[in-house]
Amino acid sequence: MHVLILFIEILILFAIIMLHVAYATYFERKIIGHMQVRMGPMRVGWHGLLQPIADGIKSFFKEDVVPEQADVVTFRAAPIICLTAMLTSLAVLPFAKGWVLADINIGLLFIFAMSSLSSYGVILAGWASNSKYTFLGGLRSMAQVISYEVAMGLSLVGVMMLSGTLNLTKIVEAQGGSFGGMYIFPQIIAFFVFFIAMLAETNRVPFDLPEAETELVSGYATEYSGMRYAIFFMAEYIGMMVMSSIGTICFLGGWNGPFEVTIFPPFWFVVKVYAFMFVFIWIRATLPRYRYDQLMSIGWKVLIPLALGNIVLTGFIKAFTG
Amino acid sequence: MQIQYKPKRNLLQTILHSEIMQGMAFTLKQLFAKPITRQYPQEKPDIKLGFRGQHALVRDQETGTSKCVACMRCVTVCPSRCIHIRFHEDEERGCRVVDSYDIEALRCVYCGFCEEVCPVNALVLTEIFEYAAYDRESIFFDQERLLANWDAFAEMKGSAINSYINPFWRPRGIPERELTAAKRLDVPDEWTIEGQVVGNLVKRDQ
Repeated sequence: MHVLILFIEILILFAIIMLHVAYATYFERKIIGHMQVRMGPMRVGWHGLLQPIADGIKSFFKEDVVPEQADVVTFRAAPIICLTAMLTSLAVLPFAKGWVLADINIGLLFIFAMSSLSSYGVILAGWASNSKYTFLGGLRSMAQVISYEVAMGLSLVGVMMLSGTLNLTKIVEAQGGSFGGMYIFPQIIAFFVFFIAMLAETNRVPFDLPEAETELVSGYATEYSGMRYAIFFMAEYIGMMVMSSIGTICFLGGWNGPFEVTIFPPFWFVVKVYAFMFVFIWIRATLPRYRYDQLMSIGWKVLIPLALGNIVLTGFIKAFTG
Repeated sequence: MQIQYKPKRNLLQTILHSEIMQGMAFTLKQLFAKPITRQYPQEKPDIKLGFRGQHALVRDQETGTSKCVACMRCVTVCPSRCIHIRFHEDEERGCRVVDSYDIEALRCVYCGFCEEVCPVNALVLTEIFEYAAYDRESIFFDQERLLANWDAFAEMKGSAINSYINPFWRPRGIPERELTAAKRLDVPDEWTIEGQVVGNLVKRDQ
């Protein structure tokens, strides 16, 4: 019986997240459109509201092309690895008090593991397509994820030190309900490092080198078509959502807000996640892409030392203030 | 001269990413600006005077056919060489008679030189711009088609067609005496400064 309830919960979460992913693309296209003084999708439905559904139907019925020289099994598996890894990390996210599928004690670590695993899918896709663009995209993704995973992990160590736990629910509870209790204030350096690493982790502008349209066609996804291509996109948007959720949980106090919304407890969580998503899109509409060596030097020469310094600082402060 | 690629920043500006912040502020401001795009099939562009659209041969009210005298000036001036005229000399009347007048509209660059150079204002680029087709033949205009284009344009303009003057028929900045008789048109006052027909650039500078 317990298993059945859990299964239904998983299905509900999956459906809601997929709907959110679909409308995140709409949100992105609309906002980028208006930032570029145009309108974005306007045709399908009122102000293009049905556009994501039309896109979904279209990509579902498109031909699934597999290149002749590709490694077929890996080629087919890669987008699924990406999506599964991203979806799995949703299980440990606490959307509100008690609204979590698996309240495990190593939640944060689990999410790191899963986001690394999803880049495994990207690398496999790049390699299996047997094309120079995808291969370059895959290599770039690999190097980028290795460099920024370190910075991101180190930036969250400060949060772990303050809260004394890896359990995401307990991290939120440790911050308390007050505004000043949010970890963004004592951990401002960590937040800065986390934010930049988050952009790089999710392959978003200005660090979207793995799919750099102008130089690599579409990077690792060049050879993909139809639904498999759409799955990569879903994975990217779920990745954005997961990273936004981590940011919300670790720095912005999770589901706590100025007042309680009893009808819908995750209200503040959703608001904060969407604020993060908006910043993602806003940055995409503003900044150009970094050069590859700049990306590496920011990662290794700025972010990692900053994150390490933050750990030392947090340690000292915690030691002296108790 | 030393070119400074990177503006100097102080430490605070570097830490706060002042330049990125400026850019972000700009895009945020644009988010609330009114979009400048047009939802085309529903919303048509408003066509300004001197718009260069579909080609037409003006139908002469008296003869019912084109005014063309086969002087070949348009053929000569056309930069993309898309106008083809064939004619023969009428020995009795001592004038040229047009056998065929063809415009390959697909090669046309819509520069408007042909209507500017035409001594009798026979040719015009109308304000019709929606004439895309699925085959090349229907965008190859022969004389009948060009006259029909004029009729379509006349129907679109209604009674205003009787007083219609294309700005290219009366070239700007050329004195009256250097123009052919047909081109010495009575243009509206807003096209002129001190009796001279001038362009928009001159007007804007004043």
